[in-house]
Amino acid sequence: MNQHTKKLEQQQKQQTTETKLTEQKTAAREFSSVEEMLRFDAAQTQVPSSIEVRLAESVQKELAARKARPWWKKLFG
Amino acid sequence: MSNLAVATVLTRPGMDQDAQQRLELRSVAPDFAELYCAHSRQIYYLCLRVLGDHALAEDATHDVFLKAWRHRAEFRAESSWRTWLYRIAINHCKNIRRAWSLRHIQPAADDALVANASVDSSSPLRVLELKELGERIQKTLDQLPAEYKLLLLLVADDQLSYEQIAALTDQTIDAVRGKLHRARKAFAIEFQKTA
Repeated sequence: MNQHTKKLEQQQKQQTTETKLTEQKTAAREFSSVEEMLRFDAAQTQVPSSIEVRLAESVQKELAARKARPWWKKLFG
Repeated sequence: MSNLAVATVLTRPGMDQDAQQRLELRSVAPDFAELYCAHSRQIYYLCLRVLGDHALAEDATHDVFLKAWRHRAEFRAESSWRTWLYRIAINHCKNIRRAWSLRHIQPAADDALVANASVDSSSPLRVLELKELGERIQKTLDQLPAEYKLLLLLVADDQLSYEQIAALTDQTIDAVRGKLHRARKAFAIEFQKTA
């Protein structure tokens, strides 16, 4: 029974070490150029979703304001 | 299923927030939403790295796209949407920097030091912690002259040619090439210091 537990512990330790090594491997990275590094950084950068919401609101306001203009202003600017 | 029911399903809580918001812009201006989806990442990234601040970059990206929306009728097909948006973004960021006098806060790398340094800019740049990459890139870019920073950010965009970068920065292609060579070298030197 004890032997079985020890074996299990060993297996678990080995698995943890392997996982850590894989994590380290994926974390380390080499870039051949500045451009490649910046490209990677840009791809990792998330655009905040709040920008799109604010933009939609702003565009909607502009459209509403345009609709509310009197006909003579629309015609003569 | 009625239209109302479809709308309820699409905006129910728990659904991907990005998808909901994209729908919102699409419902207001469908063509413009496509333009936003295609170019917002690059424009936001440029604003972020030029201004070095998330909140400022957020505001700037919003303003750039709003300007584009207002002046979309003036867009000429001789340039691409990407370069047109970049031009608006570059001018907008310059104005922000001027207004905040940010250019006096960060010291720029000395050109003479860069020219005499023995660092090979073609050698690979090794990064151990990807989590810190963004911070290190920002620190490095902040040490470079504004022109070098901008050129590096533009050349990193696959969609831009040297010709387009030259047009965007109002200089010849040869000048762009020469400055990029020095900019890469300066970046490599400064990047090593951030390790």
